Amino acid sequence: MLSQRILGRSAVKSAFKPSGLPSVVSAGRLRRTYATESEPRDLVIIGGGVAGYVAAIKAGQEGMKVTCIEKRGTLGGTCLNVGCIPSKSLLNNSHLYHQILHDTKHRGIEVSDVKLNLKQLMKAKETSVTGLTKGVEFLFKKNGVEYIKGAGTFQDEHTIKVQLNDGGETSVTGKNILIATGSEVTPFPGLQIDEQTVISSTGAIALEKVPKKLLVIGGGIIGLEMASVWSRLGSEVTVVEFLDQIGGPGMDTEVAKNIQKILKKQGIIFKTGTKVLDGEKSDGAVKINVDSAKGGKPETLGADIVLVAIGRRPYTGGLGLENVGIELDERGRVIIDSEYRTKIPHIRCVGDVTFGPMLAHKAEEEAVAVVEYIKKGYGHVNYGCIPSVMYTSPEVAWVGQSEQELKKAGIKYRVGTFPFSANSRAKTNLDTDGQVKMLADAETDRLLGIHIIGVNAGEMIAEGTLALEYGASSEDIARTCHAHPTLAEAFKEAAMATHGKAIHF
Amino acid sequence: MASFAAACRVSARLATRKLQQDGVVRGFRTSAAALAAHNFTMPALSPTMTEGNIASWKVKEGEKFMAGDVLLEIETDKATMDVEAQDDGIMFKILQGDDSKGVQIGTRIAVVAEVGDDLSALEIPAEQGTQSTTAAEAPRAQSAAAPEPESAPSSRSGPPTTSDGTVHKQSYPLLPSVSHLLKEHDVSEAAIGSITPTGPNGRLLKGDVLAYLGMIDANIPSQVSSRFEKASHLDLSNIKVAKAPEPKKAAKAAPAPPPAPVKTLVTVPVSLSAVIEAQRKIQTSLGVFLPLSTFIARASEMANDELPLPKGCQPTADELFNQVLGLDKLAGPKVSRGAYIPQIAAVTRPSARAPAAKSSDIFDLLAAPSKSKKAQAAKPTLLPGASTGPNVFSLQVPKAEERRASVFLERVKLVLETEPGRLVL
Repeated sequence: MLSQRILGRSAVKSAFKPSGLPSVVSAGRLRRTYATESEPRDLVIIGGGVAGYVAAIKAGQEGMKVTCIEKRGTLGGTCLNVGCIPSKSLLNNSHLYHQILHDTKHRGIEVSDVKLNLKQLMKAKETSVTGLTKGVEFLFKKNGVEYIKGAGTFQDEHTIKVQLNDGGETSVTGKNILIATGSEVTPFPGLQIDEQTVISSTGAIALEKVPKKLLVIGGGIIGLEMASVWSRLGSEVTVVEFLDQIGGPGMDTEVAKNIQKILKKQGIIFKTGTKVLDGEKSDGAVKINVDSAKGGKPETLGADIVLVAIGRRPYTGGLGLENVGIELDERGRVIIDSEYRTKIPHIRCVGDVTFGPMLAHKAEEEAVAVVEYIKKGYGHVNYGCIPSVMYTSPEVAWVGQSEQELKKAGIKYRVGTFPFSANSRAKTNLDTDGQVKMLADAETDRLLGIHIIGVNAGEMIAEGTLALEYGASSEDIARTCHAHPTLAEAFKEAAMATHGKAIHF
Repeated sequence: MASFAAACRVSARLATRKLQQDGVVRGFRTSAAALAAHNFTMPALSPTMTEGNIASWKVKEGEKFMAGDVLLEIETDKATMDVEAQDDGIMFKILQGDDSKGVQIGTRIAVVAEVGDDLSALEIPAEQGTQSTTAAEAPRAQSAAAPEPESAPSSRSGPPTTSDGTVHKQSYPLLPSVSHLLKEHDVSEAAIGSITPTGPNGRLLKGDVLAYLGMIDANIPSQVSSRFEKASHLDLSNIKVAKAPEPKKAAKAAPAPPPAPVKTLVTVPVSLSAVIEAQRKIQTSLGVFLPLSTFIARASEMANDELPLPKGCQPTADELFNQVLGLDKLAGPKVSRGAYIPQIAAVTRPSARAPAAKSSDIFDLLAAPSKSKKAQAAKPTLLPGASTGPNVFSLQVPKAEERRASVFLERVKLVLETEPGRLVL
């Protein structure tokens, strides 16, 4: 009977053919299923940014069955795709261009006919980005991480529905779920970001031509880095900042003043203590109305392009948190406890989307800690020891507390500084801008904060972070040998100056 | 009474065990660990016991005992109890003999040595704190009264509050500032252990040594490190939960569901004449009667094969897997198996519904020659509502599946109208 039916069936199929019905394809006949459909994963991560991908790799290394859902199409999140990495490419290459144009002559190198090829500059950036995002994808493969390209939504406490990028839908169930959806650009009220004339940082790393006039709203790290790039490439850049200091509230006030002076010398115009009221777009140009933060000094600024860089906000759009009753705080951050658990204990959350500074390396630390919490019951991030770096030229880097914070808390401290103008290597490099500033407890000499302006401040801060992590005193650094001649000697000398006296200053 | 005695025995065992442990700890502190004669103090046999009488010792000085041996008998106001040894050992010296009255707990009553110790070489260790009054306090008091570091430097001005008598094992190498200060001030290796470290993971910091040396206020290092401790955690206090959006979303979500399942009716007229012809032929040639429902079911089964996907459909895991392998491009048009069952009704002719069904349809004509008996046998096999003439096959489907459904029905029609015989042969 069965064979009869099969015979009958093929006969009928052949009967379809002349009428133009679909031909017989047997590929779909085999029953293949994703493991996810049958068995739940140990960990499902929503978001393949720094927090998500690091957690995924770490979980893979810990032997967990892990799935990472990312809708961008490439891994690495904001950092790798439109943040830290592409901006560093532009900063480095624009610095080189600027140096050839304005600096090499004094050093005895004359270059004529210097031309900017913006297209190639952007291509170099994309090469770096692609290389790194592909690298992460490779690491996923290497560590057995399942990677689903799509947008995840909570269906229930264990199930994530994924709207796949290629169309269609699937769902994943996980014993543990990690929210790592990151952040997005905070829009400026009343100024629609179109990425053409009013741009966010995403647009600022992909401009097709160098704008004549660029206006940056927000003098924080992102704003100043982008201001540097386009200023070096030839734009007239104005930075409008609401606070009285640039660099954001975390930067040491003295350091902020110093770097402002240096950047001003490079041609960036600063308007601190100034608020932006509104703006209007009119054929390829934008007019921005500003006023003093206290009021009373209204002014209109014109620009070809306005960059909105007033910060970032947690991103939970489309995540369906309401389906599982996870709460956000008033600033949109996912509420967690000290072990990164939301109110549903097996759903955890790390990175920009929750509390703490929005930094890639903080997210990375948390990602490792959260996997350790899941796997081993304990993980740790030292939030008092997270460095910050601004990649202008010179760079600014700091870790620990700033002088104004110590003053506010009424803590007695000692300050030691050492300028790079007194450092032999900086002298030979003809890069003498900046200084190392150390803050230590007045009584115990334990280091409280380190603030550096200098060419490689971002690299040098690693030593400060290590010192802080181990509870070192300034004397401990001063008694540690530093190679000569290096910029790092300035670090040692600043330590000497903190508890005693510097030798070379 | 028996159970009380048992309870007492347990507590006695615990008390002696603790004492033994203390002895071991002390052994670490002194350099001569091998000569570990240790004090045996009056155990607390109940939580309320403060003192007791020693009725009699069951071991003599110099005698060996094994774990579990009864060492002595103690009388309290409530009962008389045996105290057992927790470890093997030798009774070195009995200090409170038989019939000692009102011995405070924690008071040294004997000195015991370890098996193999040379008793002649042993010294009786110093008597330790005896002031404790409860069982819980007894061992703690002992450790608190551990000897002060003798080598505390004379230069210190204030009392070293850092030195609480506990030994802190140091992680080496010491920080450069620490080892410098220690050498500079001649702090002995032994004394280092008595400095309270406040650094991460118990690391000795410069401030700790400064406090120990009395150069700064002794409390400052711990204050500094508590600040660091606080800074090392995310500040999760004062979280203000966002409230506004919740009800809004709920309100928005509520009206959404109703419009979801928009269904359409797909209909195709199908003549069943060919089917009935085939049915008749089969019956005449093979003598087997096949009901119409069989034909329709098989036609449906055929037609359900490889239907075009509905609009905006969700690919199955198979398809996803094929996509990963890149097979989706080879596979041509995307198809999937349907699960439709057509609804069948006679074509409705408003004017002559009843007569049409009754009189001159093909079924009757075909059935007539083979006598009414067979026709009657065939009749009940008609599906309810089906006519032998042109019938309407219909499907109620979501809007997105409209095309899929009509393809299905077209196929059913094709099969049933052209070669129904092949469905069953």
